[in-house]
Amino acid sequence: MSRSVEEQLLNPEPGTAAAAARDFGIDLGLLLGRLRLTPEERLDELQRAMSDLEEGRAAVASASRSIPHDQPPPDNRAVR
Amino acid sequence: MINLRQTIELFGENETEFVIVGGIAITLHGSSYLTADLDLCYKRSKDNLERIAAALSPHRPRLRGAPEGLPFVWDAETLRRGMNFTLTTDLGDIDLLGEVAGVGGYEEARAASVAFTLYGHEAHVLSLDALIRSKRAAGRPKDLLVLPELEALREVLESKKD
Repeated sequence: MSRSVEEQLLNPEPGTAAAAARDFGIDLGLLLGRLRLTPEERLDELQRAMSDLEEGRAAVASASRSIPHDQPPPDNRAVR
Repeated sequence: MINLRQTIELFGENETEFVIVGGIAITLHGSSYLTADLDLCYKRSKDNLERIAAALSPHRPRLRGAPEGLPFVWDAETLRRGMNFTLTTDLGDIDLLGEVAGVGGYEEARAASVAFTLYGHEAHVLSLDALIRSKRAAGRPKDLLVLPELEALREVLESKKD
């Protein structure tokens, strides 16, 4: 009897591509979550992830600009 | 960052003929791969080049990474004279590919595609088999990194057909 997609991804059998992907570091739970979405929902989720990433990058860039260039970087030893 | 909905609607409304390849195709099949541009393998017929040129024209297509002010004429003739274009547009980054490594041109990509309905339009997306072939053929580290996930996806989706 063939195993369900959930079984194959959550408990992959040795020697399968799913087991190889898990061993490679792929989050098969995340993959299963994506498979439950429609293709259009997958695109919408990617779009949200891209927006979050861009906001994060903008925040880092803004924070970097607010550090005066003539000041030395903070001494990390002070917080050890 | 590409506006996926607006771009797919634009290409659909202009009846352009293309196959979605690359990272967005991988995402559509279920991968959690993160990409920021849209790769399209396009039909190089005269009519289609004119439709693509007209569709993108209002969105200021220019060559990505080219110096500001470098002259670039965006029209069907420019498309005809070239093959692969890495573009920045007001909709985001779009790569127009005349050929896909390991697959071939538009006709081969179309034959190796599956159809999805996206935002009310039928869109052809390179199949998992063909994506795996193209990633192996491209052979760059970033291409090879996605292979284990694609192969796992193919395995579980094929088992569903049994």
